[in-house]
Amino acid sequence: MFEQIVFLVFAVFALVAAIKVVTTPRISHAVLWLMSCFFGVAVLYLLLDSPFMAGIQLLIYTGGVAVLIGVASVVLRGAAREAQRRVTHSWPASIVALSLFLLMAWMTLELPLPEAPQAANPEGSLALLGAALVDPAGYLLPFELIGVLLLVLLVGALYLGKER
Amino acid sequence: MPIASVPLSWYLILGAALFWVGLYGLLASRALIRTLMSIALMLNAVVLNLVAFARFVEPARTAGKTFALIVYAIAAAQAALGLALLIAVRRPHSTVAVEGTDVLNRAPRVVDEGKR
Repeated sequence: MFEQIVFLVFAVFALVAAIKVVTTPRISHAVLWLMSCFFGVAVLYLLLDSPFMAGIQLLIYTGGVAVLIGVASVVLRGAAREAQRRVTHSWPASIVALSLFLLMAWMTLELPLPEAPQAANPEGSLALLGAALVDPAGYLLPFELIGVLLLVLLVGALYLGKER
Repeated sequence: MPIASVPLSWYLILGAALFWVGLYGLLASRALIRTLMSIALMLNAVVLNLVAFARFVEPARTAGKTFALIVYAIAAAQAALGLALLIAVRRPHSTVAVEGTDVLNRAPRVVDEGKR
């Protein structure tokens, strides 16, 4: 019961924050709402017995992605200010998004999904995750590929951002 | 460790709601920065689904969380590359009035003007 209340509070918080991100006219406010939304989702990860994912969510999303977008909005201050006057509500977009959401929610409710987790988290599940990431029979290849991807991306971003 | 008593479908519905809010932002927004935020929202909803499934369906295995970590890396990549692209698109107009904003509607033309 307590967990359901916590879930509802932070789910509504994250949802309202997400809606504010796409509707608030000021870009700087939208960045702060984005951070709030990520924070609310991080609390839900704690509720899912995944404190590691909650920490990663705070570090990468709230601390990385949102801050990076905030820096972008400061660097492009003029562009952001110009865009504020052009916030438009789009009925077609809202109809598309709402109908697809209703379809997806209906499908979710129709499916036979588990009411409760099938087992408790095993002890040391984080150690299991770490071992799987460097295990050649596990996820070593995707892990290395994502490292190469990030390296290529850094070089590409430097190239794009270079003065010329 | 307590067993979470929140049904899986609640997490999935919240994930769907966050995802479609992000899609609405992507479709309706005129500002390039806000489309970046919308994409981050959508990726975040995907990660929420992955973590929820990992917890409910296979707590003893690691596939779900591994995929979630990879989506995190993609999200960081998307934000970094998006910032670089924003700056690259904006630069040709740094001296004139801010026309690089609603690039979403006419990105090819703006970029071509910069090359000339």
